[in-house]
Amino acid sequence: MAAYPFPLEKPALLEAYRRMRTIREFEERLHVDFSRGDIPGFVHLYAGEEAAGVGIIGQLGDGDRIASTHRGHGHCIAKGVDPLAMMKEIYGKKGGSCGGKGGSMHIADLSKGMMGANGILGAGAPLACGAGLAAKYRKKGEVAISFVGDGASNQGTFLESLNLAAVWNLPVIFVVENNGYAESTSRDYGVAVDSYVDRAAGFGLPGVTVDGTDFFAVHEAAGEIIRRARGGGGPALLECKMVRFHGHFEGDAQTYRASGEIDDIRANQDCLKKFAAAVTGAGVITASELTAIDHEVLDLIERAVVEAKAAPLPTAADLTTDVYVSY
Amino acid sequence: MTTIGLIANPVSARDIRRIIANASNLQIADRVNIVMRVLTAAHSLGVERVLVMPDSGGIRALLQRHLARGHSQHQRWPLVEYLDMQPTSTVEDTFLAARLMHDKGAAAIVVLGGDGTHRAVVRECRDIPIAGLSTGTNNAFPEMRESTITGMAVALYASGRLSAAQALAPNKLLEVSINEGAQTDIALVDAVISTDRYIGARALWKPEALSAVYLSFADPQAIGLSAIGGLLQPVGRRDPGGLAVTLGHDPAATRLRLLAPIAPGMVRPVAIAHWQAMPAGQPFTVAQQGGVVALDGERELAFDPGDRVQITLRENAFPTVDVARCMQIAACEGLLRLPSTP
Repeated sequence: MAAYPFPLEKPALLEAYRRMRTIREFEERLHVDFSRGDIPGFVHLYAGEEAAGVGIIGQLGDGDRIASTHRGHGHCIAKGVDPLAMMKEIYGKKGGSCGGKGGSMHIADLSKGMMGANGILGAGAPLACGAGLAAKYRKKGEVAISFVGDGASNQGTFLESLNLAAVWNLPVIFVVENNGYAESTSRDYGVAVDSYVDRAAGFGLPGVTVDGTDFFAVHEAAGEIIRRARGGGGPALLECKMVRFHGHFEGDAQTYRASGEIDDIRANQDCLKKFAAAVTGAGVITASELTAIDHEVLDLIERAVVEAKAAPLPTAADLTTDVYVSY
Repeated sequence: MTTIGLIANPVSARDIRRIIANASNLQIADRVNIVMRVLTAAHSLGVERVLVMPDSGGIRALLQRHLARGHSQHQRWPLVEYLDMQPTSTVEDTFLAARLMHDKGAAAIVVLGGDGTHRAVVRECRDIPIAGLSTGTNNAFPEMRESTITGMAVALYASGRLSAAQALAPNKLLEVSINEGAQTDIALVDAVISTDRYIGARALWKPEALSAVYLSFADPQAIGLSAIGGLLQPVGRRDPGGLAVTLGHDPAATRLRLLAPIAPGMVRPVAIAHWQAMPAGQPFTVAQQGGVVALDGERELAFDPGDRVQITLRENAFPTVDVARCMQIAACEGLLRLPSTP
C-alpha cells in the first residue's frame, strides 16, 4: 500500500486550490474590467504568483499577521478576506473591506490579520516587525510575515527590518517574492547581491530559496520556517522564485520583456496547472472536482463584480469615519 | 590552446536544510573567490583558456568585477570565455554548459557545487574528467579541498604534464530506470526511495519517510543519507560494488537501529531491516509501491504504484581528476621544480 502522497489531506488540498483559483480569476477579471475603465486608481495583479501566497498564508491563523505589498489582492484572498468585500473596495464602493476608501493599494482586514496592502515599497517590513514584537509579548505562538518584492528588497526599510528582527529575535518571516522585475527593471540589473539568502546571512538570518511556482515546495519550506518562528526560533527569509503573468501595473506595455516570455511562462510555469497535475496524477482529486471549483469561483467573481457595480459610493459623511481623530 | 571548463552553481546550498539543520550557506562572494583561485592557479601551470558557465545568480556579475580590475603582480588568469547561452537559473543551465564544454574541447571541468550539481554535469557528459569543489549542503561526492590545489591538479592534467593514466580515477554511479527505461536518471552517491509522493522542498530529512537506500559508495565520515551505509558496512569510492539498504519501519522487520548523520547537524536513529552488496550491472528492483526516488539527496522522480523502478550500479562510469594523486606524482617526478636561476 502506497503512503498518502501529500502533506495535506484532501479537503485542505481542495481549499488550497480554491484559494489559488479565486486569486487567479479575481485578477484576470480585474485585468478585463480595468481595461474598460471601470476601476478607479491603479491595480497590480498577482496572477501567476498564487502558489507562494497560498502556500505560505494557508498555514496561518487569524492571529498571525501579514504585511502585504502594492500587489496585495492575492495575499488578502489567501488570508481569508472576503472577495465580495474586496471587489467593492477595489471599485471604491461602500461595503468594501475598508469602506471603499482604500482601494487596491490600501486594502486591509485586521480581523483576518491582513494589516494591509501598501503603496510604499518596503514599508510593510517594519510593520511586520511591530506585529512580531506584539506577538512575542503575547506569547501565543503567533507570527508575522512581511511580503516584499525583489525590487523593494533594496529599500532601506527592508534591510533595517532584517536587522531589527534578528536583534530582537522576532517571530517574523520575510518573504521575498522574486518575480524577476522591479517594476520594469530586471533583477539582474537592479540587485547587486543576487542571492537573497546571502542578504539574510549578512544579518544573521537563515534563508531558503524555493520554486515559488510549486505549491508543495513553498508549503513545505514555509511550514518549517513558520514552525521554527512559532517555537521561538526567530526570524528567517524565504525567497520564492516566481513569475508575473501581467505587467507591473495594468496598462504597462511591458516592452522590457522578451517576446514570447509571457506565453512561455503561462504554458510552462503556471502554478495552478502544476498543482492540478500533481493532485490528479496521484489520483487524490479528480479533474471534475477541480472543474467544479473553477465554476464556483467564476460564479463568485461574477457575483462580486455585479454587487460591486451596484453598490453605492461612499458619501462626504464617510470622510470623517475610520480616522484617528474624532470629529 | 589548453582549455578547461568551469561550472559554478549559484543556487546550491539554498534549500530548507538551512532552517531545519543549520546547514551552511556559502555566499556568492566566497564562491567567486574560489573561482578566482582556480583561475589563477590554473594559469600558473599553463591553462590558457577557461570556459565559464554564465549565470544570473550573481557569480558572473561579481567575477566580472574582479576580472575588470585587470592583472596585477599577484594575480594573473587565463582568457575567460563565457559560454554562449541564456541562463535559466535551473539545472538545465548545468546540462547545457557541460554539453557546450564538451563540444568546445575542454580537457576537464572544474565544478563548484554539491552532490546535485556534480550529478547534473555527469548526467550530461560522462567522458570529460571533472574536478569537484564542495560548495553544497550534503557533499559526499565532491571533496573539501583548497581550490588552488584543485586548479593546479587540473592544469597538470590539461596541459599534458600528467597523462590520463596518472591523473584520472574511475568512478561508480547508480542508474535509475522507471518502467524499463521510460524514465532514466543517475545518482553519483545515493538513490533513496521515499514514501513522499511530491518533490516539495526537495531535501530529505525525515527517516520515517525513507524505505530503501542504494549507494555507489558509503563512507563512515560522510554526511547525508550515504552515512547510513557508511556506518553499517563501508564501501570505498574505488572499491568494486555498492550497497543496498532496506529500512524497516515495522518493528518486527527491524534488525537493528543505527544512529546516522542524515543531514548536517541531524544525527537520527534509522531502523534497518536488511542490507546487501550491490554487484555492478545487476538491477535491483524497488519493492515500494509509489513514492519518490531521491537522487543525491534531492527528491527528483515521482513514481506510481505499479511502476517498476530499478537501480543498477555501474563501475568505470566516468572519470574524475584525482587531485591527491596528481600532486603526489608532481612531487615525486619534480614537475614543479624550476631552474635554480629565474
